[in-house]
Amino acid sequence: MRQSNRWWVVASLIVGIAVLLTTSPAAAQVKIRFQTWHWGETPWVKALEAFQQDFNKANPGIEVVRDESRLADKESVYTTQSQAKAAADIAHFMHRPIPLFAERGYIMDLTPFIEKEGGQKFLAQWDQHALEVCKYKGKIYCLTDFVNPMTLLYNTVHYKEAGLDPTTPPATWDQFVDYAKKLTRAGRYGLGLIGGRSDSLFMRLHPFFWGAGAEYLTPDGKRSALDTPEALEGFRFYVELFTKHKVVPPGVVEQGAQDVRTQMAHEKVSMSIAVPQAPGIIQALNPNMKVREVMAAAPVPVGKKRVTAAEYGLRVISPYTKNPEAAWKVYKAWHEKDVQLRNFKIAGVLSARLDVKTSPDMANDTFAKVYASQAPYAKLEPLIPEWPKIGDAMITAVQEAFSGIKTPEQALRDAHIATNRALGVQ
Amino acid sequence: MATGRTWHDRHLGYMFVLPATLMLVAVLVFPAFITLKLSLTPDGGSGWALTLTQYRKAFGDPVLFQTFKNTFSFVAWSLVGHLVLGLALALALNQALPGQTFFRLVALIPWTIPDVVAGIIFRWVLNPISGSLNPLLHAIFPGFPAEFQWLSSPTLAFPSVIFANIWRGYPLVMVMLLAGLMAIPRELYEAAEVDGAGRLKRFFHVTLPGLSTIILIALALDMVWEFRRFALVLTMTGGGPGTLTEVLSTLVYKSYFQFFTFEYASAMAILMSVVLFVLSLPYIVLVGRER
Repeated sequence: MRQSNRWWVVASLIVGIAVLLTTSPAAAQVKIRFQTWHWGETPWVKALEAFQQDFNKANPGIEVVRDESRLADKESVYTTQSQAKAAADIAHFMHRPIPLFAERGYIMDLTPFIEKEGGQKFLAQWDQHALEVCKYKGKIYCLTDFVNPMTLLYNTVHYKEAGLDPTTPPATWDQFVDYAKKLTRAGRYGLGLIGGRSDSLFMRLHPFFWGAGAEYLTPDGKRSALDTPEALEGFRFYVELFTKHKVVPPGVVEQGAQDVRTQMAHEKVSMSIAVPQAPGIIQALNPNMKVREVMAAAPVPVGKKRVTAAEYGLRVISPYTKNPEAAWKVYKAWHEKDVQLRNFKIAGVLSARLDVKTSPDMANDTFAKVYASQAPYAKLEPLIPEWPKIGDAMITAVQEAFSGIKTPEQALRDAHIATNRALGVQ
Repeated sequence: MATGRTWHDRHLGYMFVLPATLMLVAVLVFPAFITLKLSLTPDGGSGWALTLTQYRKAFGDPVLFQTFKNTFSFVAWSLVGHLVLGLALALALNQALPGQTFFRLVALIPWTIPDVVAGIIFRWVLNPISGSLNPLLHAIFPGFPAEFQWLSSPTLAFPSVIFANIWRGYPLVMVMLLAGLMAIPRELYEAAEVDGAGRLKRFFHVTLPGLSTIILIALALDMVWEFRRFALVLTMTGGGPGTLTEVLSTLVYKSYFQFFTFEYASAMAILMSVVLFVLSLPYIVLVGRER
């Protein structure tokens, strides 16, 4: 190549690279990855897409980007991404991993942002009980998005067929068993129960366990309290619904939350312990069923004390976000009243915002009224890093008792030993 | 005239293997080193304060001990199943029959199905209420319970998972044995036939000796893969009921991603690797000898 031609090529390359480096794209968008498994779920995806559309339109410099996770591995994906310092800007979880993420530095302390918004005055907009799941060692890592108190969901048509009054659901454990037995007829079972290995099983156990007056831990939180008569009573009640009263379909240890909802949708079972999203999911599983006419919700039947459990949905901001201010803007927008109200109307979730909880929309909704009435009875799980191990020990115990591998006493005793081992008690 | 090789000539070969070596280091050696380092770190620790705490914990953990037993049982039965089914099908597919190519392709299908999909398929087939197996068995044997529990049964859950694993994994062994069968000289069979050896004697004295090396290689490779089986077990039973079907890979996953005990999970993974290495030694020795 001639000398002059070579210089032209080099000069052109330099100019081209300079143009590429200095020219901005048409819109210099800050992209915020909004991660949740609900992008793949009906009806939740409609709420998410509506939020994405509205926010992106109102904030041209920031773009909310869809980032899909899956319910089963959302924690493992986020953990791996955090270890690579490439986690989504905003990620969605239930409350349980907060202490674990906080210990490892995988979630951002939102206290400085909250202070700028007004501190306690800002936080006063939320249910203070629900906000507790966001606090760990004096810091606030999230704002509670929604509260899922466990309630009894039942099929009123099945009730009528079994000669039961659909306006008086079972209020006590004895009535609960009696109703379930009467509803177990004509190829159908009275109760759908979760027995598959998942946190959903643990959550369904809580109302019966705590309802018997039992606790998982001693008051100081340092030792297992599973060796009490109350613990055995609550544990045995849950297990015997399947093993003794036979009101639960076979294969219980294979059933997860979605399997039970599918059973409800296809009228294989008449009752279940459900979260507020269940009616909407059941409707999506069986579009021919008029869920709002056929199903009804009621408080979980009471043992010795009125108590239920709740799952708390929340979102976190990753400390590795490249745009913390933009992430906070998106985060705050998601927690605004109108967005939370829309989430309730589309997905049926109970917002932790007080102005949404007390809104006419919620007060006039037959399901939401019941959920909201049970939220004050929702007991919080201990927020300790060992809780997943304790949950695993209880899930193992329930499965062993369901399957007959061990008696309820043996299974609970082994869970007691495993819990103490998890807590470092010799 | 000088004939010495230049630096470039002497090192050209290394240059060619350098990219692949770097990739191996990045995806294999580096993560293995990090895992080893993590396994020597105390709970929640960081830096280089190394300790054997995690290994001490592992050797005193009854759950880990039981899981090792489950895993050995899972691997052993899977290997037997793969070998028996793989050999039977390889012998059948080695016959000159019409549609031989078609049947060979069909026999490979389970191998093409991902673990997760296979696990979900079997979970639904074995479902006591809505699965397809129970109605089929009930139709053939009217006394068979209509809602028989497979994956919920303490005695049948583990065999069910092993069966699914045998179904999914036999094609690998079958393909290797089929290749081995095709390499056995026909003259050996003809000579044995001339000497009056029947089918069974030809199988034990010609076929099996001819396949012995391939069988060892197939079993060694299969053993490594089965030790690491994860998605099939997780989707079918999650390790339940209780811990009856818990294997090492699911326990390591749970310890790392659910319990957040990264250091302990790493120690379990290292122990698993050591065991696998020891079990693979015959294969390594064999390959070294053949070189």
